Amino acid sequence: MASIIPVIFILAMIIGLMACGYLFVPKGPHQTTIRTAIMLTLASCYLMWMVTYMAQLHPLITPYRSSSKGESI
Amino acid sequence: MGDDYPTLFRSEQMSLMQFLIPTEVAHDTVAELGELGNVEFKDLNPAVNPFQRSFVGEIRRTEEMARRVRFFESQIQKEKDVVPIRPLYNSAPLVTVGPSAAHNIDELDVTLAEHETRLVQMNDSYKTLSERTRELVEARHVLRETAVFFEKAETQQTDIRTSFDDSSAPLLQHDDREQQYLSTVQFDLEFVAGTIDRTRISTFERVLWRVLRGNLYMNHTDITEPFVDPATGTETRKNVFIIFAHGDALLAKIRKVAESMGATLYPIDANADKRSDSLREVTARLEDLETVLYNTGVNRRSELLRIGENLAKWQDVVRKEKAIYETMNLFNYDVRRKTLVAEGWVPTRDLTMIHMALRHATEESGTSIVPILQELRTNKTPPTFTRTNKFTEGFQTIMDAYGIATYQEVNPGLFAIVTFPFLFAVMFGDIGHGLIIFFAALYMIFKEKKWAKQELDEILGQFFYGRYIILLMGMFSVYTGLMYNDIFSKSLHIWHSGWDFPESDGVSYAVSNGHMYPFGVDPAWHGADNGLVFTNSYKMKMSIVLGVIHMTFALCLQLPNHIRFKRPLDIYANFIPQMIFLQSIFGYLVVCILYKWSIDWSTRDTEPPSLLNMLIAMILSPGKVDAASQLYTGQGFIQVVLLLLAAVCVPWMLCMKPYFQWKEMQMIQGQGYVGLGHRNGGPRESADEVLEIEEEGNGRVIVEEMEEEHEQHDFSEVVIHQIIHTIEFCLGCISHTASYLRLWALSLAHAQLSEVLWSMTIEKFLGMSGIFGTIALVMVVVFWFSATVFILCIMEGLSAFLHALRLHWVEANSKHYQGEGYLFTPLSFAKLDEKE
Repeated sequence: MASIIPVIFILAMIIGLMACGYLFVPKGPHQTTIRTAIMLTLASCYLMWMVTYMAQLHPLITPYRSSSKGESI
Repeated sequence: MGDDYPTLFRSEQMSLMQFLIPTEVAHDTVAELGELGNVEFKDLNPAVNPFQRSFVGEIRRTEEMARRVRFFESQIQKEKDVVPIRPLYNSAPLVTVGPSAAHNIDELDVTLAEHETRLVQMNDSYKTLSERTRELVEARHVLRETAVFFEKAETQQTDIRTSFDDSSAPLLQHDDREQQYLSTVQFDLEFVAGTIDRTRISTFERVLWRVLRGNLYMNHTDITEPFVDPATGTETRKNVFIIFAHGDALLAKIRKVAESMGATLYPIDANADKRSDSLREVTARLEDLETVLYNTGVNRRSELLRIGENLAKWQDVVRKEKAIYETMNLFNYDVRRKTLVAEGWVPTRDLTMIHMALRHATEESGTSIVPILQELRTNKTPPTFTRTNKFTEGFQTIMDAYGIATYQEVNPGLFAIVTFPFLFAVMFGDIGHGLIIFFAALYMIFKEKKWAKQELDEILGQFFYGRYIILLMGMFSVYTGLMYNDIFSKSLHIWHSGWDFPESDGVSYAVSNGHMYPFGVDPAWHGADNGLVFTNSYKMKMSIVLGVIHMTFALCLQLPNHIRFKRPLDIYANFIPQMIFLQSIFGYLVVCILYKWSIDWSTRDTEPPSLLNMLIAMILSPGKVDAASQLYTGQGFIQVVLLLLAAVCVPWMLCMKPYFQWKEMQMIQGQGYVGLGHRNGGPRESADEVLEIEEEGNGRVIVEEMEEEHEQHDFSEVVIHQIIHTIEFCLGCISHTASYLRLWALSLAHAQLSEVLWSMTIEKFLGMSGIFGTIALVMVVVFWFSATVFILCIMEGLSAFLHALRLHWVEANSKHYQGEGYLFTPLSFAKLDEKE
């Protein structure tokens, strides 16, 4: 299950959303601001998700616990 | 420009306009433009002393009015019972434009003067009356106490004989004998009575004793209620004293001593009847005075109330008038045409509004001469004006604090709207804390309208000003909290974890179960002993990836600037080598990080290399890559190529631009121009001057400020500038990339603090049972929550805010920002309000 495909797939999706954001924001005094905000938000959120996902794809270490604690929350 | 709408991408285009305003309409025109808030007037009389300017008289009058208004304000503030001041939005406006304006202002002047004289008079009479009241009260006390003394003396007469033989108090006996003697003579002994401060009474007694060698009898009592000084409010306690002595000389001495010690003497009659008459008289006068005092107080209060009704309106009018006349002082008076000439910067987009405003002003004033507006050509740099609304204002301010953008360069404030809260959130990532600051910001936004009118104190005012920044910071923090899987130091377990922990007594190693936690850090890492090892590696690499991408983005912002200001040389000589340098080393690092993550190392026979060592080896020993620990085949060759590319960029940056600039200088010199401007412009100027006198309203700038610095194209300066620029960039690349590691450091500190807080407080109390346990748990939860808000949200929040800001100012702005502009400060009555 852990493969690189979701990264590429979601990248394509985000690029599509960014294009929509660029094309479909109505003209007005705030067009630049809204466009920039949408595109930057999508890009930065995707970047962070991508880094988090890829860091855990093929981890080099395995977690271990010294005493059996219950799972969180 | 052809754009329909203003954007935040660049500052607005400005035009220098010349206004020709007929003198009659001048005041109203400036008032109208001040209401609009769109024109920044230039000072056309820079050499004139402020005391010699044309409108000094009017300014002096407005200052006088302002002083009176300030006096009223201070008087109202001193009142103990609050005098309500009718707020400005509720007051009927005072018309200051139009034909009735001058009359209204004169009337205002007279009204203010009247109010002031009345108030000052009432204050003075109140003071004198209170003093007199005090004196009368003291006199009454003196009368009463002395009556007591005399009565006591009479009654004591009979007791004295019995204690005559007692030798322990010889002086007292002497006095009693005196008194006895007195009683037969109907109290013919002279005495001095009065009041003195309680603190001084013992000194007084001692001094008198020494001066009169004991030839006196003194008695004193406390006055129970203290005297309050109306001006300062201090309380003084006094005593009544009465001194019996024999002989004029002694009495004179007593009087002198009393006066020197600050006592007040009152004439008291020995006769009891006369005393009671005086007492009645004093009481009657006191009552009268108190009535008068009360009436004065009531009058004063009603006067203040009346003033309070209009105070805000007056303050507003006075402020505006002062601003108008100060602005009019900047204008140039053209004697021939009897008009005032003004020059000002106006955003080009607002020109129609200005035209309409001018027409409106002339209509209001009733004349038919419309001020003329002309555009001037100039090579002075216009001010930088970015049109913001309440949302973008905060972001623009924090980026402007670093430096105002040069006229029409790319505005980093636009991008900071998202990148700033995002980088903050990377350092702050916690769902719970993010929600707390999100709701705090939401609350401030709901109370926006109300709080905007109030005077908020400094700290709350700062937070309120940045409420939209905080809102976005909260939203992004919730997202990064989801990524870090951290809510109040616990992790959420929304999807299927990728690790299973087998039951074991000792150490339990997790086993991968094929799942992949799709959104965020796997909760299995939370609570694992080596959890920090994983998260540190993950966060550090993330910081580098985000940092290099942010810096690349900032570098790319140079392109629109170079294209706009028509500097193609800069693209080839600065932008391209900088980009290649940055990417060939740090871009390569980022690619390696991502590549290393994407490989399943269990299927490879090489060991996963340490990227840090790899980078160092790339620079120190290029070409040598150990086959057992290589990241990919051909690595050695590719790394050498990249290193050579980076090495080539340095002389490229150093030499290309100076060389081309030198060639340009040669070309200019070759064509025979010596120096710049003056000589060539000389003959042309004089010809124009002749024409100017005949032409009406030509487009010449009135004040040719010779401050224009003609850049000396001294070649050495160019070279030095380029050297500094190159070194700064290359060293900066390395140090800034490392600087982004603060994203990791702060998020680690935040997570650890959060965990420590939980484990040291609530966790310890969770196991307790019973009533005591529950109460203790509740108290600990309260403590935990307040520590969360104050330490983790506010303190850590401010810290992360500062670091995110630093990243923007230093790491990002140094890649593209010039920041040499000056802010557009229009004449705006709305802003006058804020300034105070």
